[in-house]
Amino acid sequence: MTRIAVIDNHGQFTHLEQRALRDIGVDADLVDNDVDPEEVEADGFVLSGGPDMDRAGRSAEYLDRDVPVLGICLGMQLIAKELGGSVGGGEYGGYADVTVEITDDDDPLIGSLAPETRVWASHADEVKDLPDGFSRTGTSDVCGIEAMSNTDRDLYGVQWHPEVIHTERGEEVFENFRDICEGSS
Amino acid sequence: MVNPTEFIDEAVESISEQIGDDNAIIALSGGVDSSVAATLAYRAVGDQLTPVYVDTGLMRKGETEQIRETFSFMDSLQIVDARERFLDALEGVTDPEEKRKVIGEQFIREFEREAKETDAKQLVQGTIYPDRIESEGNIKSHHNVGGLPDVVDFEGIVEPVRDLYKDEVREVARELDLEEIISERMPFPGPGLAVRIIGEVTPEKVEVARESCHVVEEELEEYEPWQAFAAVIGKATGVKGDNRVHGWVVAVRSVESRDGMTARAQEIDWDTLQRIQSRITGENDNVARVVYDVTHKPPATIEYE
Repeated sequence: MTRIAVIDNHGQFTHLEQRALRDIGVDADLVDNDVDPEEVEADGFVLSGGPDMDRAGRSAEYLDRDVPVLGICLGMQLIAKELGGSVGGGEYGGYADVTVEITDDDDPLIGSLAPETRVWASHADEVKDLPDGFSRTGTSDVCGIEAMSNTDRDLYGVQWHPEVIHTERGEEVFENFRDICEGSS
Repeated sequence: MVNPTEFIDEAVESISEQIGDDNAIIALSGGVDSSVAATLAYRAVGDQLTPVYVDTGLMRKGETEQIRETFSFMDSLQIVDARERFLDALEGVTDPEEKRKVIGEQFIREFEREAKETDAKQLVQGTIYPDRIESEGNIKSHHNVGGLPDVVDFEGIVEPVRDLYKDEVREVARELDLEEIISERMPFPGPGLAVRIIGEVTPEKVEVARESCHVVEEELEEYEPWQAFAAVIGKATGVKGDNRVHGWVVAVRSVESRDGMTARAQEIDWDTLQRIQSRITGENDNVARVVYDVTHKPPATIEYE
């Protein structure tokens, strides 16, 4: 069974990420973000959302593990910040119902959702500049970079919450991520 | 998704083991969570369990009578009339967290007394997964998570549904043959109508909230909301029968959700909204206007406080 560890950055929905993975037949562990990453074995990692980058613990170390990583909300911002991109306050907070335009139909994570998808979001900050090697894969009226991918390193981020029931095709995002994890293991 | 049949067998067995020959007590609120926890525990240990239902005076219309009927199969059920004590304790309290605290403390006093009378060594609680997440995240305090164990020296705490989400608890409720009205029942917060009243909880506002919630639940039944209710949110000017009134503003809220973690405000047709408005302002002289809340969660929470 494919094993994906969800790294808990104290987000409201972290447990739903575990549940969404469990519901599609993935062996999903929930791991505190201050645990030594070297002790966590998995075919892929999800970096959860959370209230504050200062409480992200050792999440960034998972980016060096050479397995696929999916950053959700703060988890995506953390990937951007860590790898040389930038994060800042949005002009317009993204809450609840947002329509995301998929800008790369071939993206392994969200390309299957093209041309657009309805998502549930909850964030004040957003990724302002992409890190090197990343491309933008989704955008919306309220947030320029709704999703980003680095397919060479299998690092992915979405600014919205695929784990909540009100995101229309959230489960598909997790299925795609599972496929990515299975492909690289 | 949990398998209800297996879950019930395992839960009953594990509860029997945990409680052993002790006496146990559970606070039965009439919501799905505590109803399921109580029924599981009652199956496990019978009248060793005393389910205690406290009528706080902050319950929905007809709720206490319904509880008495639904749980009549439990010989040990205790119904405590604490209406006056709760209202007295809430006098002058306006801060939302303080309100929850006062209600929590009064609950504890009521249960402490019952627990001592029944010599209960084990506390059974209907805590579910999201209660724990929200309490850990400090978004809101949940009265059924903390409090009581600090005051009464229980030997053990039994939480049979602590790993389940609300929709899973409902599956279990159905399997337990709890009447449909319980298993399909909308979530109702522990502090009751108090969190549907902004500012001080007074008998007048409780009455408005209770009658308005009743109207909303009746009128919106066909929309099958996850939760539909009314809240008393302030005062504003109106004109009734050529007289100026400075009356209550009642907010109507109706949301759909799977697990309460996110929610969508429902699109209600105009005629239905108007009928709700007309019934609430017509049946309550002291209500000046009715508004409909269109905010999803996030950014709003489902309840007002």
